[in-house]
Amino acid sequence: MKKLLALALALCLVLGAAAALADEFKMGIDAEYPPFSYLDDDGNYAGFDVEMCKAACDILGLDQVIVPINWDTKLISLDNKEHDCVWSGMTILDTMKEAGYVLSFPYYDNTQVVLTKEGNGISTLEDLAGKRVAVQLGTSGEALLADPEGQLELAKTFEGGEPVTMENFNICGTELDAGGVDAVVIDLPVAQNLAGRFNGFVILEDNLGSEQYGICFRNGDDELCQKFEEAIMQLVEDGTYLSLAQKYGLDENVLCLLNK
Amino acid sequence: MSKLLEINHCRKQFGSTEVLTDLSISVEEGQVLSIIGPSGSGKSTLLRCATLLETMDGGDLIYLGNYAAKDVNGKAVYAPQPELQRIRGMFGLVFQNFNLFPHYSVLKNVMEAPMLVQKRQEKEVREEALALLEQMGLSDKADAYPYQLSGGQQQRVSIARALAMNPKILFFDEPTSALDPELTGEILKVIRKLAEKKMTMVIVTHEMSFARDVSDWVVFMNGGVIVEQGDPRDVIDNPTHERTIQFLRRLQEK
Amino acid sequence: MTILTMITKMSEGLGRTCAIFFLTLLFALPLGLIVSLLRMSKNKVVSSIMKVYISVLRGTPLMLQLLAVTYGPYYLFGINVSREKLIPVVIAFSLNYAAYFAEIYRGGIESMSQGQYEAAEVLGYTKFQCFMRIILPQVIKRILPAVTNEIVTLVKDTSMAFTVAYQEMFTIGKQIANSQTSFMPFVIAGVFYFLFNAIVGWVMGRFEKKLSYYR
Repeated sequence: MKKLLALALALCLVLGAAAALADEFKMGIDAEYPPFSYLDDDGNYAGFDVEMCKAACDILGLDQVIVPINWDTKLISLDNKEHDCVWSGMTILDTMKEAGYVLSFPYYDNTQVVLTKEGNGISTLEDLAGKRVAVQLGTSGEALLADPEGQLELAKTFEGGEPVTMENFNICGTELDAGGVDAVVIDLPVAQNLAGRFNGFVILEDNLGSEQYGICFRNGDDELCQKFEEAIMQLVEDGTYLSLAQKYGLDENVLCLLNK
Repeated sequence: MSKLLEINHCRKQFGSTEVLTDLSISVEEGQVLSIIGPSGSGKSTLLRCATLLETMDGGDLIYLGNYAAKDVNGKAVYAPQPELQRIRGMFGLVFQNFNLFPHYSVLKNVMEAPMLVQKRQEKEVREEALALLEQMGLSDKADAYPYQLSGGQQQRVSIARALAMNPKILFFDEPTSALDPELTGEILKVIRKLAEKKMTMVIVTHEMSFARDVSDWVVFMNGGVIVEQGDPRDVIDNPTHERTIQFLRRLQEK
Repeated sequence: MTILTMITKMSEGLGRTCAIFFLTLLFALPLGLIVSLLRMSKNKVVSSIMKVYISVLRGTPLMLQLLAVTYGPYYLFGINVSREKLIPVVIAFSLNYAAYFAEIYRGGIESMSQGQYEAAEVLGYTKFQCFMRIILPQVIKRILPAVTNEIVTLVKDTSMAFTVAYQEMFTIGKQIANSQTSFMPFVIAGVFYFLFNAIVGWVMGRFEKKLSYYR
């Protein structure tokens, strides 16, 4: 037991030392969030955010290390220095700024939309009254529908007076397809992704307000944040930003840095 | 004859109930002493005090002149653990329900304590254990496990286990009470044989005719005190005390 | 992604799942025994502390304990233990399972007849010898079915490590499932756990059989 403990301790020291030596940049991702960060067909991490980060790291001479994290505790593990940023389709919230986290400029303007299926008789937000509407647990869509200053009033018109929460957006898609729910409140790019996979899915023209994705750094990492913002602007100028967005099927409309 | 065991002015309370009141007995070498009396009379508690399973509240407990406990101002003060451990080597105890170790074979039940506690050589202990088992008529059961034996056989193993420690004195706590009536004979036969070999024994028992035949001295206890004691033929056949007469009559009626 | 790729990818996590499983058993089984003995201690302070320990660890979700052990030290003392995540994960699992094992041991020990202790005491066994040679072997036989139950639960509970994003088999399975819009990884995970527990069941069965030489 003593030996094991000593071994464990030694392992910690070695790992700690290795981490200190290399110029690593540990990117915290939700590995379950395509097309921003996910496992591709070969089982490697891929996605718009993953590749953007890689390209930015190349410019900055950093060694990109991908750290899959638990989305619910992303800020805790960030504090714990398990990773140096959260960069994974993360909505910029005022509460993060208030808590002292350093946030980059938005690189993506996301919009919450309503995804429904043809034949469900839903074409406007008013049509959602009395319908079963799903939302993914822990997403900004869920927060929006529970926010009195957001869309709480709309949520009250749903069947049961509130949305049905689901573990992940895939289940949302499956449920919608199978008729378990009538509509899903979801991020626009994800809605587009699902609409491409399932037959008959339509996105309502009325949206529920827009949101912006950014990168979250630890308190005090202002300089690091600025370096990444500069690198990203370089990637916007050389076209990498747009080509990666096209590669991952993102709508050009959401690329808010293009017109900057 | 020298005194092997002496208990002087033993007192024992459980909560507020006095179980033993100023009780004294002594056992001489080679003597067989039987303790009889109704249940609840304190005879088992006396045996448990003598074997250090219970601590006395007051009184002396002396084995061969060695104090296990000494009365100091009415309180029993016990010797330090190493001394008690040494004294434990002087006696053996046979329980009412055998208390064999079920996960050990018969032979290991008999052999482990001499090897572990007395640090004796395995070869020597094995020879002695096998001889003891033969004496008990259990030669063919050495490799059996307790659950495979009858109650009488189990009790004989537990006697062999106690004897393997070469005790100076052997205590029996109602050794036949847990047995079917037809099995008590074999145990009594074994004890009788030991008595012939001048083994010092203290036996708590309900078997009156056996107590009369085998013992040199009988103690009748009632309500935590010794009511009557003496030669078995006197106490059992011609009791003088009223409580003794009542007790013996009730036993006969059964 | 082909099913083969999924299996390969998830197998990488299986090593970590096994690490949680075996290390937790290695630490929790003896720790549980110590806790149960202290819990039965005549010292009121010691036994009450253990009582609280057991009721807290059994009364709060393992998920919460994982978070507390992994991130608690940083927020309380500024100490970072979450880099080599296997360590806090195994600590949390061991503390949790020790509490359950402790109560199983206690049940087993308390079911032993007083006569066994007394027989050993009269024969001159020390308390330690009595416990190790007479009591514990019999206790182990008695509690084996209950321990097997806990071990089977432990196999499935390893998936809880996803709470702190430890990349064990199920965490990876979830990632693939959500990235690939596929339920296949869950089926694979189910098969993995089932096979794992089949092996556990077989080993424990052998063990029980080995101890069935007496009653």
